Amino acid sequence: MRLNVIKAYLKKEFIDLIRNKMIILIYLIPTMILILFGYGIKLEVTHTRTIIIDNDHSKLSLEIINKFSHTKYFDVKVENISYKEALHKLQTNKADMIVIIPPSFSKDLYKGAQIGVFIDGSFPLRAVTIEGYVEKLLIHGFNIKLPIKIENRNFFNEAMRDYNAIVPGLFGLIFLVVPASLAAIIIVKEKEVGTIFNFYSAPIKKIEFVIAKIIPPFLFHSLNIFILFLWATYLFDVPFRGNFFIFWLTSEIYILISVGIGILVSIVTSTQVAALVLSVIITVIPGFLYSGILMPISSMDKESYIEAHIFPVSYYNHIIYDTFLIGQGFKSSLNVLYFIILCIYAFVLIALGTLLIKKAIK
Amino acid sequence: MEILKVKNLSVSYGKKIAIKNVNFTLKEKEILGFIGADGAGKSSTLHAIAGVVSFKGEVVYKGYAYHSPKEAEKIKNEISLMPQGLGLVLYDFLSVGEHFDFFRDLRGLKKDEEYETRLLKMAGLYEFQDRLAGNLSGGMRQKLSLILALLPRPKLLILDEPTTGVDPISRAELWDIVNEMREEGMSALISTAYMSEASKMDRLMLFDEGEVIAKGTAQELIEKIKDYTYEGEIESNECFSFNKRTYCLNPLPLKKAIPTLEGVFFVNALKKGKKPILIEVPKKNIDVPEIIVKAKCLTKKFGEFIADNCVDLELKKGEILGLLGANGAGKTTLIKMLLGLYPIDEGELYLLGKRIKSYEDRIELKSKIGYVSQKFALYKDLTIKENLEYFAKMHSLTPKETKEKIEKYSKMFGFEEYLNSFPKEVPLGINQRFSLAAALLHEPVVLFLDEPTSGVDTVARSAFWKLLRKLKENMGISILITTHYMSEAEYCDRVVVLKRGVKIVDDEVKNLHQKYPGLDFEEIFLKIYKENQ
Repeated sequence: MRLNVIKAYLKKEFIDLIRNKMIILIYLIPTMILILFGYGIKLEVTHTRTIIIDNDHSKLSLEIINKFSHTKYFDVKVENISYKEALHKLQTNKADMIVIIPPSFSKDLYKGAQIGVFIDGSFPLRAVTIEGYVEKLLIHGFNIKLPIKIENRNFFNEAMRDYNAIVPGLFGLIFLVVPASLAAIIIVKEKEVGTIFNFYSAPIKKIEFVIAKIIPPFLFHSLNIFILFLWATYLFDVPFRGNFFIFWLTSEIYILISVGIGILVSIVTSTQVAALVLSVIITVIPGFLYSGILMPISSMDKESYIEAHIFPVSYYNHIIYDTFLIGQGFKSSLNVLYFIILCIYAFVLIALGTLLIKKAIK
Repeated sequence: MEILKVKNLSVSYGKKIAIKNVNFTLKEKEILGFIGADGAGKSSTLHAIAGVVSFKGEVVYKGYAYHSPKEAEKIKNEISLMPQGLGLVLYDFLSVGEHFDFFRDLRGLKKDEEYETRLLKMAGLYEFQDRLAGNLSGGMRQKLSLILALLPRPKLLILDEPTTGVDPISRAELWDIVNEMREEGMSALISTAYMSEASKMDRLMLFDEGEVIAKGTAQELIEKIKDYTYEGEIESNECFSFNKRTYCLNPLPLKKAIPTLEGVFFVNALKKGKKPILIEVPKKNIDVPEIIVKAKCLTKKFGEFIADNCVDLELKKGEILGLLGANGAGKTTLIKMLLGLYPIDEGELYLLGKRIKSYEDRIELKSKIGYVSQKFALYKDLTIKENLEYFAKMHSLTPKETKEKIEKYSKMFGFEEYLNSFPKEVPLGINQRFSLAAALLHEPVVLFLDEPTSGVDTVARSAFWKLLRKLKENMGISILITTHYMSEAEYCDRVVVLKRGVKIVDDEVKNLHQKYPGLDFEEIFLKIYKENQ
């Protein structure tokens, strides 16, 4: 391996990326994704339009109505209408939820009283979330002594803040998509324009070319690790409880994985547009689905559980969530194992890219 | 001393054979020229020798034999390849000086101030070292690519169509550089589409349809066909006529003539049993004014850059007008203004006696104008027949008319057998003829053709010109055509020469020949260009 070849390409690549203004996109896009998704995805549900039909008119039923009214989660209207009319309102999207308190609710309380709760299930995720709120409110909401006491507390994200759950997960998405597309583009551009002949016809080794093409996206996006970290901790106020060194090192390895994917994409494509589309498609879908943002991987079905473990994003996100919210670091043997798996990924992808890249016209 | 020996070299892409069984040797300080049309196999041969494509057979460079790009790695520091395309290997956002840095580091060379200065001065780029490659003209880009290829002081220089699309002045300068380096012991393989450059080569190989059809010095090649060459042009299905000469295997009662290199391709076609297509264009009278197109002081600006600067142009009834000029001289821009594809910045335009001001004015005349664009605007996923049907529908022809017209033109232009093929499966010459048919479907009275013959093989070009002349003579169609081949200017009635957006010549071809006696048109063109520095 000769440094002069790598130096030649690096200098050219940096001048090129700066003069063709690509540098702006390199730093704009990750931040944009973080801000758009960070603010855009909401897991909590607020202002559920709720109709309560109180047929009991007791002290207890009034207390229930009060509890519902005093949270941001429900917008309560107490109406004196029939069950049928209420159902009609639910069907015509005039309400999201109906709570019916039966006439003898407080009297029957210890014999087994019932409350009717009807939720609009057209968005299942929202319905389940609302259901959870209702249950929690009814069980913990007031001083009824039940035979069983449920004690629950959310660890690691005590305040149940959305940002804490979503923002760290976006790192896995951003650092999979963006370096891969950049790496693919800077190689395929040479093919598309014709400058690839400089590589074909000169006595340059494939490994030299690949290294020269890995370094620019790797270095540029290394800076993004710090930028995104600052956005996460200052803009979104996500706590950081772990070891910064582990966070940084894992992210660097992960960027190498992404660049490796980009190199493989550049081998099968010959235009910049195709390279961009392909690298985005093969990274966005796993990056999002298996990031753990929408659903923890441990609770996935068999197939998706296996799929999730094929893509590196789940390993990376495990470590990132840990460094942000938990802070176990390498004391957890699972984190160590996942870190090693990431290193293997990076090595295999880049080795494969170097091996498969052609130094000749197809 | 022999430095290169090529044995049974073949290159194929998938099932398609690009070149079959090439054999030749190259001596030290020798320039071997590859001549042939697009797709004849020149590039593939050069790529194989440069070790950038897989091939069958063997190449021996100074005693080292290689059979694959991988084995060729060892000799790549002695070989430089300049691939086809204007400055293809340049990075638009790098300056001339930065290109030198890049290529020097890439090859691991020490900075040789003296040599680099000499190269820059040879190419006339010494003053432009800070200019970005993207802002250089086509000729300058090509010269820069050439001196970059010379930077590692190669023993073997491989140039793939270095002069295509380059203006005549830059072309001459490119040759000067190559010759100067040759004096210092360099050999070169150079391909070209211009027959006129044959004289710059020591020996030639002529390529046609994936085969080498002839080898030798230009003199030897011409010698071989002199028995078949006659003066003048005749109508016959046994002989080819082109550029004031007729090539025939059977003896003719005509005076013998000194053949040109182009003749080798005709004789080869005849020997392969190919016959010229006979084109019959029925006589027809059309009613049009005497002046078809009249442009007064047309100007087009792109920002600071003036593409056409106050150009006057007149196209008369039944006339073939050739629009000549180097790349970037403003030919295509002018045609596009005449067609209304670009808005006119300044000047007046009259088509068929009518002042054209707005889009509506054009709509009325649309049915009178036919246009064939550079590279032919064909749909590659439709067969030739489907393409023609599509164009017919655009001009709202009835299905019956469409069927008749397709039948008529495919017979007339001789592409009947290809109707159900896709454009990329057929030779460029066929595409060219059926593009012309597509432009004629709605029976226009005037045709605009933008470089219809670039890259097309000689035989097909001769057929195309014959066709154009018949269209002019029998149907009275006026034709405005741009071309890079100076020999084709002879077929025009009148030529207009543009240089950097300014008209420098507008005269009948025969007048020009009288003015510059004894010169062929390429030489006349060069002279005119130099006179108007």
